[in-house]
Amino acid sequence: MAEIAVSAEMAASVWKIEASPGARVAAGDTLIILESMKMEIPVESPRDGTVAKVLVAEGDQVKEGQVVVLLEG
Amino acid sequence: MVWQAELDELRQREALAHDMGGADKVKRQHDGGRLTVRERIDWLVDAGSFHETGAIAGKASYDAAGKLKEFTPSNCVFGRAMVDGRQVVVVGDDFTVRGGSADATIREKPIMAERLANEFQLPIIRIIEGSGGGGSVKTIETTGRANLPNGVGGGQLFNYTTLNLSVVPVVGLGLGSVAGLGAARLAASHYSVMTRSSAMFVAGPPVVARLGQDLGKQELGGWEVQCKAGGVDHAVDTEEEAFACARRFLSYLPSSVHGVPPVLPCEDDPERRDETLMDAVPRDRRRVYQMRPIVESVVDQGSFFEMGRLFGRPVITGLARLGGHPVALMASDPFFYGGSWTTDACQKVVRFVDLAETFHLPVVYLADCPGFMIGLDAERSATIRHGVRAMAAVNQTTIPWCTVIIRNAFGVAGAVHQPAGRLSLRYAWLSSRWGSLPLEGGIEAAYRAEIEAAEDPAAKLAEIETRLNQLRSPFRTAETFWVEEIIDPRETRRLLCDFARLAEPLRRPQPSRLQMRP
Repeated sequence: MAEIAVSAEMAASVWKIEASPGARVAAGDTLIILESMKMEIPVESPRDGTVAKVLVAEGDQVKEGQVVVLLEG
Repeated sequence: MVWQAELDELRQREALAHDMGGADKVKRQHDGGRLTVRERIDWLVDAGSFHETGAIAGKASYDAAGKLKEFTPSNCVFGRAMVDGRQVVVVGDDFTVRGGSADATIREKPIMAERLANEFQLPIIRIIEGSGGGGSVKTIETTGRANLPNGVGGGQLFNYTTLNLSVVPVVGLGLGSVAGLGAARLAASHYSVMTRSSAMFVAGPPVVARLGQDLGKQELGGWEVQCKAGGVDHAVDTEEEAFACARRFLSYLPSSVHGVPPVLPCEDDPERRDETLMDAVPRDRRRVYQMRPIVESVVDQGSFFEMGRLFGRPVITGLARLGGHPVALMASDPFFYGGSWTTDACQKVVRFVDLAETFHLPVVYLADCPGFMIGLDAERSATIRHGVRAMAAVNQTTIPWCTVIIRNAFGVAGAVHQPAGRLSLRYAWLSSRWGSLPLEGGIEAAYRAEIEAAEDPAAKLAEIETRLNQLRSPFRTAETFWVEEIIDPRETRRLLCDFARLAEPLRRPQPSRLQMRP
């Protein structure tokens, strides 16, 4: 099974974690919600799969390009 | 025929030139998944339209009888051709001859290509591979001296590389490994495209290794690096797609600054109303929405041509048509920093409005800007100076301008939604909200004493926020005529097509005062 790394596309703080390990997700589902400039910005699943690992916690600061979720499948 | 022998020799020399660097080198080029320069030109231009200049220039050797023994053509191939029925200049590097480097170029060939574009007022497409006619350390030995870049008599190519940006459309195609002068000629374009297997860098991996950076070509200058940094505008999978991008870019532009952009017949109804626009912006102010479908909806169907998507992402830039009229379209992307202007977004705005000003393209801006980016990183990258530079660029434009405020307009960056010194058209969607600064965070600062004195500071804060929010309705602003028009979003396309018609006779086929920089 291929592992897919999902990255934050910009620097932001992690507002909410929507994905939990083991959950099935479809392409376009929100995995994590970032907060930047008082806006909630979703990080969406690039494809169908299963959440293998969530690498950040709510309140964390992430950098542009930082991997936040690993998917399988 | 009196001159048959000479004609035969001419044809023989032309045939030798068409062999390029020889069968081995051509095979190596093909094995690498790349076309030769001659194939590229054939694929790029209208069939059979390439008229080459200087095909038989190169290096020759002769036998004792003075007969031609060997011939290596110059690795710069250029001429004029048609692209979608319009004359252009094409200049390309032949990587099969000395990897495209200067010692096989013949200095005057790329210069003549640039001059042809400049003086005959024709768009130029630079097909770049290798060092783009730049130096090789070997040149020291072959010439017996070191070259001073831009030394006596050596400045012309450097001059035209940037001068032409103020005269004709310049497209750069980076196909293969592009370095040094090649990288400069690629970056000094109005629009540049590279294939995903290509790489561009000032100096390649072996040179960079001396800095202790052990990087492959892709890691150093691949498409992700260059497109995100704004070094190159766009990346595609195949060379054929790169040629299609070049042709499409040119279709929106005049052949030079001495003309106006071509207006095409339009099949899309200018009165078309898109019902989904009423629901495009969420009522919840913290929620973002996709801007590109809004752009696609209001312009002529299928006419939006985005440029520089991966760079300065809070701002979307591209060319589009409205009722067949080409326009420069700028929009915000709330998915990136809420649409706030970062340093790279400001740089993107400058280059984009300069392009519009240079080629007499009216500007349409779908604005949703909560301000400049804030925070330590933003200060460290001098967001405010890049921001006021963007403001100056917008204020210096003279092309007709129309703004639609989609949601936010806050602060100084919010003010740059239209040129400040002249009249533009402006419409605000029902979802509009604006202010000198956003209430959130701003209230704590402005009402500190009142909040601190309250028994329940949090409740006080909420109370003030509710009070101010009631005053924030765009209708109150319109009532005082601080904004001239609030519109039903479904009217946007009709009003923009109307703007494009109003703008048409205002476009002047004269060079702008602006001298464009890459």
